[in-house]
Amino acid sequence: MDWDQVELNPKVVHAVKRANVKTFREVLSLSGPDLQRLTKLSHADVHHLQKTVAAAVQTDPAVTALQLYRGECPFLEQHQKLSLGCPVMDSLLRGGIPLLGILEIAGESSAGKTQICMQLCLSVQYPRKYGGLEAGAVYICTEDTFPTKRLQQLSSLQHKLRPEVPADVVKSITFCDNIYIEHAGDVDSLNSCISKRVPILLSRGLVRLVVVDSIAALFRCEFEAKDALLRAKHLLAFGATLHSLSHRFKTPIVCVNQVADAVGDSDLAQSNFGLLDKKVLPTLGITWSNQLLIRLMVSRTRFSLQERLPGLAAQPWHLGSVLRTMEVVFAPHLPQSFCYYTVSIDGVRGVKEEPAS
Amino acid sequence: MQRDVASFAFAPAVKVRLISAGFLTAKDIRDLRPTELSKEAGISQQEALEVLQEVRRGPAEQGAAESRLTALELLEREQALCTVITFCSALDQALGGGVPMGKTTEICGAPGVGKTQLCIQLAVDAQIPGCFGGMGGQAVYIDTEGSFLVERAVDVATAAVQHCTLITKDTEQREALQSFTVETVLSQLFLFRCHDYVELLAQTHLLPDFLSQHPKVRLVVIDSIAFPFRHSFEDLSLRTRLLNGLAQQLIQIASQHSVAVVLTNQMTTRIGQNQSMLVPALGESWGHAATQRLILHWEGKHRFASLYKSPSQREATVPYQITPLGFRDVQLPDPSVTPADPSPTPGRYSRKRPRGEEGDPSDA
Repeated sequence: MDWDQVELNPKVVHAVKRANVKTFREVLSLSGPDLQRLTKLSHADVHHLQKTVAAAVQTDPAVTALQLYRGECPFLEQHQKLSLGCPVMDSLLRGGIPLLGILEIAGESSAGKTQICMQLCLSVQYPRKYGGLEAGAVYICTEDTFPTKRLQQLSSLQHKLRPEVPADVVKSITFCDNIYIEHAGDVDSLNSCISKRVPILLSRGLVRLVVVDSIAALFRCEFEAKDALLRAKHLLAFGATLHSLSHRFKTPIVCVNQVADAVGDSDLAQSNFGLLDKKVLPTLGITWSNQLLIRLMVSRTRFSLQERLPGLAAQPWHLGSVLRTMEVVFAPHLPQSFCYYTVSIDGVRGVKEEPAS
Repeated sequence: MQRDVASFAFAPAVKVRLISAGFLTAKDIRDLRPTELSKEAGISQQEALEVLQEVRRGPAEQGAAESRLTALELLEREQALCTVITFCSALDQALGGGVPMGKTTEICGAPGVGKTQLCIQLAVDAQIPGCFGGMGGQAVYIDTEGSFLVERAVDVATAAVQHCTLITKDTEQREALQSFTVETVLSQLFLFRCHDYVELLAQTHLLPDFLSQHPKVRLVVIDSIAFPFRHSFEDLSLRTRLLNGLAQQLIQIASQHSVAVVLTNQMTTRIGQNQSMLVPALGESWGHAATQRLILHWEGKHRFASLYKSPSQREATVPYQITPLGFRDVQLPDPSVTPADPSPTPGRYSRKRPRGEEGDPSDA
């Protein structure tokens, strides 16, 4: 701790050092009387010491919501959002994914979670005016190997998915080069990846998106039912690391989660899961849900677009594929709502629900 | 004159030395010289000088011990304090008018149930001008989770301003409305961001000065207090100690500066006999910290707020809903239309979300 940072009477600094109080954290964690007892300073001195240390710790000034709204705060950027690459899904999220915080995509297998994540890894590389962040992505796989062939297919067809972006811009981005793929087979290697390797990539500005696909796999198999407390501890630590990464580098974090059957009514009563009737809940419990900013649930319906929404003038890319739903379960700035989407050869697109003319 | 030496704010070691040297009241010390005092009591010259300065200050300058108050005076003082309305009249009624000033209120709930929504609503409602039934004050929002998104605050502020515009009747209200716009609401909402518990502790130390510099602040929200304290604590007794200290500081801030302090807490599961229940996080001892506790929960697809602990109000459970306009009442539906019927049917394209009927905001 740098005592030169704070303007204090040398007598006070000396007394504090003699009392073996080394860090700012200790100064603030001890109560007033405790500090008085340890340092033998007077009440007024201790009060002044704590206030000075507090001012050194909390350096960001107070901002008003108006300044935030006008984009005048560099350390709390809320205007820029990461686009998902599809205007329908972006409008479901009111512009896209916020840069600070953890977004979860939960759903059963083959609902399309990995497809959405891959599309995000591509859309983050576009320039800012097209909804990207001009940097690459880190994709941490914990389950299967990464589908590289599919990624190559998607990146070669980006010009079809994003017709609003000029062709030369799309051509100039080497999509596959900027996606860093990590594999983590257990919780320890995941933690070391998140705390050592990912910060290096982030600090060099090479990536501005972190995808963890999926967190459920590791935490569910390494911890048995009786280790619930230990699992909760690890989840909390993991979430805290992700949060600090997200804030330090202004990077969105996307986590993929699995779902499990809801057993009995009590589970569903504890936590409402949105508009659509569901028989499944995201796994990892309330410990993990408390860390999230936004939760999306995706699922696969049994219908195709023509069957479900027969009156809609179907766009060519939606034809022939199964209809899926993407639903906002909770978010601080979004109402509970959902949209349909399909997965086609060039990516994931939402279905725009306008009645056929 | 006869004030005890022990009641002065000296360092404990100095106090012990003075008392064991025989100096029991202020009168004993007053007339001594610093060198005499330091020799008699065995304290350093500097300390003796400080002691004498403190003792010789007139009673008006000393940190005023609160003069005695009768219960009647306390009652009058409390009744003079206003409350911050929540725009959900059922909840306001259960709380006795709204969130009270001078006290700490804790809001617990599962993720997504509406804690941050209620906090943003309160931050806007604290600024409603007096002639519309509000307090016309400013608000401080301490965000530890990063869940304050300004676009939502804009939605809520716009709805509140619009509501006041619609109920404007006389010239006084029209004038007040000039200074109650979305921009002024946003400019009077002060935001602090704390990333861990050390920053939160630091912010709480800095808060009294901030409130003295901004005397119009009437509401302080900490969203949430659980988040920074739930990880990185190997020593749980340290956590309990820190939380208790924090609670004490907040109660002191609430009563000294006449602000309403609102804290948000998370829920955690507790394994009971055969079932697991959701209980507020941070442990049992934290349950004693706040003056009032409100628990938000789901029952099926509906949201309910329960007043769980309050010294002056009865326990009650009321329904509420979150609309694009903010935190509102649930309006009792037409018997012919089922409330919040969510299942999408083919052909219903235009509404992605069944828009609940707009609640009837309290016409305070």
